[in-house]
Amino acid sequence: MTTKDFLLEIGSEELPSAPLDAARAELPKLLGAALDEAGLAHGEIRVISSPRRLAALVSGVACATEASTQVFRGPKVAQAFDADGNPTKAALGFCRGKGVDVGALEVVEFKGEKHVAVTVSEPAKRATELLGPISEGVIAGLSWPRSMRWGSTSERYCRPVRWIVCLFGEDVVDVRFANIASGRATWGHRVLAPGEHEVPSPSSYLDVLEGAYVLDHDARAERIREQIATLEGELGLVVDTPASTFAEVVNLCEWPTVLAGHFDERFLEVPQEIICEAMLKHQRCFPAFAADGSLSRTFILVSNGDSAHNAAIVQGNERVVRARLDDAAFFFEEDLKVSMEDWLESLAEVTFQERLGTLRQKVARMEKLAGEVARLAGEDDATIAHAERAAHLAKADLVSQAVVEFTSQQGVMGGHYAHAAGEDDVVAAAIAEHYRPRYAGDELPGSVVGSAVAVSDKLDTICGMFAIGEPPTGSKDPFAQRRGAIGVIRLLERMPNVRLRELIDVSLGLYEAQGLTFDRDEVAKAVSGFFSGRLQTMAREEGAQPDAVAAIAHTGVVDPAEFLSRVRALEAARGETRELMDDLAQAFLRATHLADPSLGTDVDRAALGEAELALYEATEAAEADVAAALASDRFSDALAALAALRGPIDRFFEDVLVMDEDLAVRNRRLALLNRFAHPFAGVADFAALAKVS
Amino acid sequence: MVKAQAPTFQEMIFALQRYWAAQGCAVMQPVDTEVGAGTFHTATTLRSLGPKPWAACYAQPCRRPTDGRYGENPNRLQHYYQFQVLMKPSPVNAQELYLGSLAEIGLDATAHDVRFVEDDWESPTLGAWGLGWEVWIDGMEVTQFTYFQQVGGIECAPVPVEITYGLERLAMYAQDVDSCFDVVWCRDPEGHELTYGDVFHENEREFSTYNFEVADVAALRRHFDDYELQCQACLDRELPLVAYDCALKCSHAFNLLDARGALSQTERMNYILRVRSVAKAACVAWMAASDTKAEVAK
Repeated sequence: MTTKDFLLEIGSEELPSAPLDAARAELPKLLGAALDEAGLAHGEIRVISSPRRLAALVSGVACATEASTQVFRGPKVAQAFDADGNPTKAALGFCRGKGVDVGALEVVEFKGEKHVAVTVSEPAKRATELLGPISEGVIAGLSWPRSMRWGSTSERYCRPVRWIVCLFGEDVVDVRFANIASGRATWGHRVLAPGEHEVPSPSSYLDVLEGAYVLDHDARAERIREQIATLEGELGLVVDTPASTFAEVVNLCEWPTVLAGHFDERFLEVPQEIICEAMLKHQRCFPAFAADGSLSRTFILVSNGDSAHNAAIVQGNERVVRARLDDAAFFFEEDLKVSMEDWLESLAEVTFQERLGTLRQKVARMEKLAGEVARLAGEDDATIAHAERAAHLAKADLVSQAVVEFTSQQGVMGGHYAHAAGEDDVVAAAIAEHYRPRYAGDELPGSVVGSAVAVSDKLDTICGMFAIGEPPTGSKDPFAQRRGAIGVIRLLERMPNVRLRELIDVSLGLYEAQGLTFDRDEVAKAVSGFFSGRLQTMAREEGAQPDAVAAIAHTGVVDPAEFLSRVRALEAARGETRELMDDLAQAFLRATHLADPSLGTDVDRAALGEAELALYEATEAAEADVAAALASDRFSDALAALAALRGPIDRFFEDVLVMDEDLAVRNRRLALLNRFAHPFAGVADFAALAKVS
Repeated sequence: MVKAQAPTFQEMIFALQRYWAAQGCAVMQPVDTEVGAGTFHTATTLRSLGPKPWAACYAQPCRRPTDGRYGENPNRLQHYYQFQVLMKPSPVNAQELYLGSLAEIGLDATAHDVRFVEDDWESPTLGAWGLGWEVWIDGMEVTQFTYFQQVGGIECAPVPVEITYGLERLAMYAQDVDSCFDVVWCRDPEGHELTYGDVFHENEREFSTYNFEVADVAALRRHFDDYELQCQACLDRELPLVAYDCALKCSHAFNLLDARGALSQTERMNYILRVRSVAKAACVAWMAASDTKAEVAK
């Protein structure tokens, strides 16, 4: 089979970073599927991209598809023709499906029956004929989050397409899209190698690009990292390159040069969070830190310009960074002139949620809830007061100038303002940290006070949204209730004394006091159901078996620490004594299948036979042990107590016929099984374990 | 230090007008009603609609009451200038034409780091959106570059490209000054300089005071209501151009109310929706009128 390499380059005006990264992942799938569907064998598909191009380089594409002959079997001859020998509906339908006339029908034998059949021959098709339409389909088929039209054409792409290179070996493949015809000319770097550059063949594409001052995505990322590392060595600094900004920076250049600029010493007095954000988010520059972790005056920028003009480019960037930092400093200094209480009053003008009221009202609820969290956690009065105070001030910074400008520093700025206003350090820190955890793996607040405020904020939102009948749906979660629930779970995991159901009830009560009407019991049930769902997901994501997670969930436990430690203990017990646990689960299932709850759990001890008595005594012992173990949160001991029932129950089922003909005997034995199931109830649903094993 | 060779503010406007005139743009004068951006000029909003080719450029004074800083901030103004270019259909070399224009105002693109950074544009009050970029020179945002997809809720076909230069920023950069008030507006034959501050500093102080402290909220609400009614009356009489002018008046009254901090969140949203519906209605009426004219011409 002869093969050639294939190149498709879609040249466009500057593509935005995130959609470009998504398209880099989508392109090989789309192209690979199209080649496969056309029957063109091919090798590896490599994606190459820069802001102005998205390209696929495919190695070893077959020059033609394989010719094929296939026989398709249709209905039995008897059903294909009627008594007069005319084709039936079945036969006509079969022919239509295969695109042939009735005359083309043959007869084949299958399992001794005669069937009609057709032979379909596909001649080999030349790749040169297939690749054009395939490429056109791929260009039109990329799924951009937002696409656009341009000029007088109606085709859509992420930004205007300006050129197309499509080569099969050394030959140009004819591709047309939005009035553009393919050729072999790619475009070089805007400044360093403007204009067209001929690509002789796919294999020379990367060299042509490099000659035209264009590096592929990965090569740019590597070059930027190398140059940053060099600068770090020279300057004795550590550069912070958060992934999201770094990804953008890589997609904003074709030929990167890393440069260092500086800003005024005086900006080091402004909270470094807004300084860093101004540089990272607004200017796509990276902050640099001294070895001791303090912010330095140096910032790192990545230029796409001609390095002959580095000095002017640095100077220009320094001027812009100065203006940005001036703004940040101005906002901070202006904010310091206002008292947090004044901001708090402005929150009465800011809607939290139309039906749930203003942010001022939310703050009032948070104060009470945060205090309650601290109280339930067993904290002293001073700590409870701190939690209330921190919740009181937590949202004030939302109307500060700095947070209006640097939204993602909400909380953090509030912490600075609280500190400046002479609030207790614990309170200031709690305000700063109360949005945590903001994403998976984020740090939790460092203090109980911070955790109490964080829980109150998130739980208040969840309970409110459930109360107005707007729980999160698959596609809609504008108040980030799912993330909030995960946050509450992570936080409460560290506060095992705080009962989630109790908190939900307090929170809903606060909404009721505010005048919101809803069915409190129903909503409370829905909220704990929601938390149970999140807990189950989290436990499964930790690697727990779905049946173990279900077994714990069925007991109705929603307190995060208890739920997760129970799952872990159950998993551990099953890990150590798999056979015993499985066997116990099977016995439990058998017992509950037979059991008749109407018979109760009272058993006349005197009437019991030997095996029955053994089970009865073991069950009594297990009941006591389980109760004691659960009372002191020794869940593994509870499991061990249940495990002790395995011998007696197995022996019982072996030695005793439960469904005795004597009704009295039968009922006694059934009641005994009811009793046997009893100690399991608060531990785990062993039936769920048996179903899977 | 002002670079000797850097163009003055007025020379930049002259240069851009000449450059874009040479590309086939009709040089317009600004619209004489208060607007928040050059986009609101009929030469952009209305001419973006419909099938007829159109190319125009103009300098537009813009008013954004909330951005006022009493003349105390070197970068923020409540009244400033945009240089606006609109070409429909967008030419294939729109970006190259733009880069060529920078050289005319003393910013050689090859000597700087010029980037097209994603910035999708949306005007809730105009019912308009488009995709494009903000253009950075050495990290400074100097231009908005947008392919309009929809204006007044109507699909744009063919698609216009809008290029909006922030003149003060470009002048600050070209002239290497840190405050917009130090930008040289013009120089007489003896070399005496008139600065942007000489022309507009007092203007910033007075209008900031008016916008934030003096503007009569009740009167502004009345103005809004009155112009909304006028707009409807003009639509009834099939006078879409006047109706559109009334929509602009509504928009400015809203901006002033906003600057006065007179609007709650919900109220603010309502006002935006009201401006949008009058602006949209005017656009739709203008389209209908030009369709009728096209029919008559046939």
